[in-house]
Amino acid sequence: MASTKTAAGAAVGAGPAAGGHAAAVATRRFRLDRSTPGRLRLLLGVLVLLSLAWGALAAFTVNQYSSAASSVVAVREPLSLDAQQIYHDLSDANDTAATAFLTGGLEQPATRQRYLADIQAAGTLIETATAQGGATRGGASKDLATLSTNLPIYAGEVETARADIRQGFPLGAAYLREASDLMRSTLLPAANDMYAAENASLSATSAQATGLPFVIVTIAVGLAIIIVLARASRWLRRRTHRVLNSGLLIAAAAAVVSLAWLAVAYTGARGDLLTAQSHGSAPVEALARADITALQAHADESITLIDNGGDPNGADEKAYQREKSALGPGPGTLLTVAETAAAGSQASGGATAAVRDAQAWYAAHVHLRTLDNSADHTAAVESALGSGPNDAGAAFTKLSADFATGITAGQATFAASASAGADAFTGLEPAVIAAALVMAAGCAWGLSRRLAEYR
Amino acid sequence: MRTGARRVSGNGKRSAAARAAAILMGTVLLAGAAGCSAAAGPGASLTQVLDAAKSSGAKRTTTHTQVTPACDPTAASLRPPPGAPRVTAGSWMAHIQARHYLIAGVSASSFNFGYFNPIDGQFEGFDIDMIKAVAAAIFGTPDGHIQYKAITDDERQPDVMNGTVDIVAETMTINCKRLKFLDFSSVYFEANTRVLVLKNSTATSLASLGGQKVCATKGSTSAGIISSYPVTPRLVLVPVPQFTDCLVKLQQGQIAAISTDDAILAGLRAQDPFTKVVGPPFDPQPYGLAISKQHPEFVQFVNAVLAQERADNGWATSYKKWVGTPVPAPPVAQYAD
Repeated sequence: MASTKTAAGAAVGAGPAAGGHAAAVATRRFRLDRSTPGRLRLLLGVLVLLSLAWGALAAFTVNQYSSAASSVVAVREPLSLDAQQIYHDLSDANDTAATAFLTGGLEQPATRQRYLADIQAAGTLIETATAQGGATRGGASKDLATLSTNLPIYAGEVETARADIRQGFPLGAAYLREASDLMRSTLLPAANDMYAAENASLSATSAQATGLPFVIVTIAVGLAIIIVLARASRWLRRRTHRVLNSGLLIAAAAAVVSLAWLAVAYTGARGDLLTAQSHGSAPVEALARADITALQAHADESITLIDNGGDPNGADEKAYQREKSALGPGPGTLLTVAETAAAGSQASGGATAAVRDAQAWYAAHVHLRTLDNSADHTAAVESALGSGPNDAGAAFTKLSADFATGITAGQATFAASASAGADAFTGLEPAVIAAALVMAAGCAWGLSRRLAEYR
Repeated sequence: MRTGARRVSGNGKRSAAARAAAILMGTVLLAGAAGCSAAAGPGASLTQVLDAAKSSGAKRTTTHTQVTPACDPTAASLRPPPGAPRVTAGSWMAHIQARHYLIAGVSASSFNFGYFNPIDGQFEGFDIDMIKAVAAAIFGTPDGHIQYKAITDDERQPDVMNGTVDIVAETMTINCKRLKFLDFSSVYFEANTRVLVLKNSTATSLASLGGQKVCATKGSTSAGIISSYPVTPRLVLVPVPQFTDCLVKLQQGQIAAISTDDAILAGLRAQDPFTKVVGPPFDPQPYGLAISKQHPEFVQFVNAVLAQERADNGWATSYKKWVGTPVPAPPVAQYAD
């Protein structure tokens, strides 16, 4: 370390050989010794500490954002998707069960399959959500318990209804009503609660992953360190008349690279996560809300026919009308909100089609009610279940398919964008730590070499 | 008179004016039946109808106050004109005919009386046969001419009163309280109150169920019997929309018993062989078809249909099919006059 071939080193090294001015030189050396090497030592310490601090801060920042981003992808979203799926499956099961026994006669195998698939899927999802840790979270755990306790009771009542119906007993209809009441008063509210909680939690996590203040502080600190390195380099150049200190140069390069990577990764991840939200989870949530309300309206359409009251002011028809006005389209209604949320995203096609097909369904419903109200109950039931172009059944199937298309597209966008967002941070954490170590080493090496020249 | 009334009611069934006219038509007809001669001729104006009604109003009230104190529910109906039921011009039957269907309030869940058969998707039962007979008398055939409205027991009276239905055939007991608001046909079935319990129950009657939960539908006479039954501690009434809901509760162990007409209990027992009907028959329940007081001519028409049913074995055939054998003699028709 003492051997040096640089010009400055030779000039200083020549000092001791000039014995004639020993005192003066000694004084000067003493002053130099007190000023430059001391300052160098101080600078070395400060720069090494700053480098390490940068490493710690940057690594911490990356860790925070990256784990929030992974949470969005890996923990929150599946649970949130599950909650939405559970809500959908339960609504669909109830709607299917109500519709299955509408006609009289043997239930359609497809209807039975659909009901069973819904119940099975909901059961599996409830189990998975419980296993995934939903059980440890306050609100969700209560809702999951409600769901897992009451789903078998609901299914049991539907099967009892089925057995009674198979014997031609009107008791079956009473069990079906009992089951539907349990679904609407207990199961669906719990699923809704959980869905709302998961959505809120997803939004919070997304906000954390895309939040600005923390990363701005980190980037500012990084920039400050680069400025310190630049100023140190300039000071050193003036003091020692060297053009460049390769140690500091390496440190600065490492700082710039790590800072740039951090900024690029964050910007990319933020863009992706915001896209996941605006073109993914937001349209999906809006569409899911509309979908579930449509399912409930459809169940009410069926129950109106089962109860056969035909009363335009009957409770079931009133419930249908309420759900219809909630659906819209119109300002602030579920369909319009979904269409707005989906605009410009992959889900947009499904949302726009849903607005169109909902109106076709409403028109078919009016026709169905007219039939039922003019003593043509059979034709009304045929319309409710029919697949013809003007049948309410076909119109609702179309509407359901639109929702499914939109939701699937939104979910795909979400999954792709959110993973891209989380992937943006891949390898960054070890990289910033390595960069910090390189910076510390570079500073130490570069300044030690200068220091050594004073010995 | 009838032509005039028909023209008025043809202006629109839903409008307030038409409703008033319909009420008036009923009033006028009733007045006519009571022997009042102040009838408007054919083509009478609304004013003439109104005047006719006004002049006969007092008499009509008198007629009713004379009937009410000596209320005999089984003999409170209007005597039909002799002969087969006839759809007279301007009558409510003519109105129904013009509409192309009869609107009947029925039960969807009273097994073997009025229920929606889930196997073939049709309304069936003894009550339904009575409705079919009425529709057949108006249209020649009941097929495609009946709009069934499945209503709960507590909807029967208001639905008849506000004209939501033309007629109710839903195991409905004729009693003096209801006669103040509704007209009934002659008695077409005689039921008695009894009790249904699970097979392993030790209960023998309502008297042995003191302090326990007993189920009946809201708005039924049975609910009234349960809540006022003289036993200590009192029975706890569990009111539900339909009697099948009572059976669900009995099967789930939420109640101790169901108490209502034996006709209904037999239907519940048929759906669950693990139940039994206990106790002596009490509190006779004569069933009648309920019709609005605005249409006395329709009450007479329905009575003529029932008279025919009793005479030509239609009643016995339905009884055999839905209630069973042995088939008793049909209830003898008694009228208020």
